Amino acid sequence: MKEKLKSTEVWFKIVLLFVFSGFFILAIPYPQESRQFPQLLAAISLILTVAALAIDFLRAQVIAGEIGDVDDTELKVVDMATRMARRLRFHRAWAILLVSTGAGFLGGFLFSTVLLFGGFGLVFGQRENLVKNMTVAVVMTVLVYFVFGRIMAVPMVNGVLW
Amino acid sequence: MDVFAQAIGFVLQWQNLAALAGGTFFGIIIGVLPGLGPSAGMALSIPLVMSWHPATALIFMGALYKSSNYGGSLTAILVNTPGDASNAATILDGYPMCQRGMGGVALGISATAALVGGTIGMICLIFAAPFFADFALEFGPAEYFLTAVLALSLIAAVVQGATIKGLIAAGLGLLLSTVGFDVIAGHLRYTFDWAPVEDGIPLIQALVGLFAVTQALVLAESAASISRLAELSGSFWEGARTYFRHPAIMVRSSLLGLFVGILPGVGQSSAGLLAWADAKRVSKHPETFGKGEPVGVLASETATNACMPGDLVCTIALGLPGSVGAAVFLGVMIIFGVVPGPLVFTNKPEVIYSLFAALFLTSFLIFIIGMTLARRLAVVTLLPNNLIVPLILVVSLLGSFAIRNEMYDVIISLAFGALGYVMLKGGFTPIPLLLGLVLGEMVETNYHRALLISGGSYSIFYASVICKVLVLLTILSLVGPYLGPFWKTLTQGEK
Repeated sequence: MKEKLKSTEVWFKIVLLFVFSGFFILAIPYPQESRQFPQLLAAISLILTVAALAIDFLRAQVIAGEIGDVDDTELKVVDMATRMARRLRFHRAWAILLVSTGAGFLGGFLFSTVLLFGGFGLVFGQRENLVKNMTVAVVMTVLVYFVFGRIMAVPMVNGVLW
Repeated sequence: MDVFAQAIGFVLQWQNLAALAGGTFFGIIIGVLPGLGPSAGMALSIPLVMSWHPATALIFMGALYKSSNYGGSLTAILVNTPGDASNAATILDGYPMCQRGMGGVALGISATAALVGGTIGMICLIFAAPFFADFALEFGPAEYFLTAVLALSLIAAVVQGATIKGLIAAGLGLLLSTVGFDVIAGHLRYTFDWAPVEDGIPLIQALVGLFAVTQALVLAESAASISRLAELSGSFWEGARTYFRHPAIMVRSSLLGLFVGILPGVGQSSAGLLAWADAKRVSKHPETFGKGEPVGVLASETATNACMPGDLVCTIALGLPGSVGAAVFLGVMIIFGVVPGPLVFTNKPEVIYSLFAALFLTSFLIFIIGMTLARRLAVVTLLPNNLIVPLILVVSLLGSFAIRNEMYDVIISLAFGALGYVMLKGGFTPIPLLLGLVLGEMVETNYHRALLISGGSYSIFYASVICKVLVLLTILSLVGPYLGPFWKTLTQGEK
């Protein structure tokens, strides 16, 4: 049971139970025509999720697989060490994404661009290539600014600070 | 034929030719990069082509979709890594050919297969799609509703052995499509007073998040660059000559690819593998397959290239996507105001026939690019992930931002990126979710219209013969994946 609760798949389904219940409950005060379709969908999805969870818990073991690619549909089992290394890189990638989005809110998308290129170069690039990676980050930012900011007139420096 | 001649004239205008060339080139680059398939490529390009004329934008997207398969064959042959699942069969003989010093021959066969398989597939698409559309003119709201349900169940069933998970994802997509103003009563639903989603969850931002951001995160997890290129030797033109020495396999594989393409839910990877197995079965020297047999590359590449147009027959004529890529292409068409279905040939003939003409010409362009630039294009695989990942993120998120110049749209894309990533890690694919989001409004509108016609009776959903067939097909698509193992157990039990 404990092993099963560690699975991302099982957790995701439990979260979905709450999401579908939320869709159903929130629709209660809506007029009849507005609530009929989402409530029907939420009810069916809820039943399917419960069924899927029941299968997971009745099965001898949950397959600890994951799909490695958005265009793929096949489960692949990944060993624990690989999974941990991937998770670390994933957390770092998200940290860069969140910081760059925050900077974009404050100063405009140009700041997001600098931080995305610089951040990935710094965190994911090899140390001996640091100067090269930072140079590439600056060049790419200038290129993006020229193509999107100047040619396509996207407001690249519109943030809440100015 | 007049309409088609006009469409060719339209495609030959400089801006459309540029879109065609750009889409083909970009598609090959996307295909070359393992991990970036046509879905991510299309999601990445939407913001860039948003302000274009719909026909021009779809020419770009169609060319991208078609050529990414060829790009995938380059890495399958040179790097032993398929750019996309559809090139899985090409590895079997393509890479061994490369190791035997026949890499150029294999690339020549692959480029010629793109030309021949693609052309045969396109001829089928041009003639079959209007036929399917005429048939679909018989459809009323109940039939449209059931067609969408069938599309969702077919895509859900594509997730091998996990139909329930596919259906759950489709349900989530349909539910997310109900966010915003209700199409029937005009009531606001599930917005929590957040203005950016009052008109519904923006499709482009969701698409960018589900495919481009999710794929970038998946790539960020894997370190270093994608590959190391193998040495290339052997003549490309020798490959083209080898191709035409096997006309029977060429025709067999094309027809097989077309047939698999028209079957909803069966993808290009199946077409390639089936054609490879078929070529091996009829060969006088089956023992050479898997060891660098040129006919193996010929069969798999011809079938996958013929499969894609077959795939688009039901997608365009019925709004019923046959594969993962077609589901995303369906979403792209809707974003550009071209709603697939039987009426699309009456409402937007210029756009549809321009798309057909463009796809037709793409086959020739792929051949030219393949015979001249193949080796240089494969160098893209040497780019490190620390450059590719931020490039994908910047271009996709910037496109998401540029639609309304709002950072909130970036947050929506990131939220869908996170959702797509968690789904992948949980063994769900985001494709049914996207399809639910795309078809949601159509499903709900037709559901209400059908009930209005029947006075609230659900019997309308199985009243006509078409409805009965659609219901039967839906049930078959849902139970089909379980029937095979069940039958196997049953027959083994008897033995």
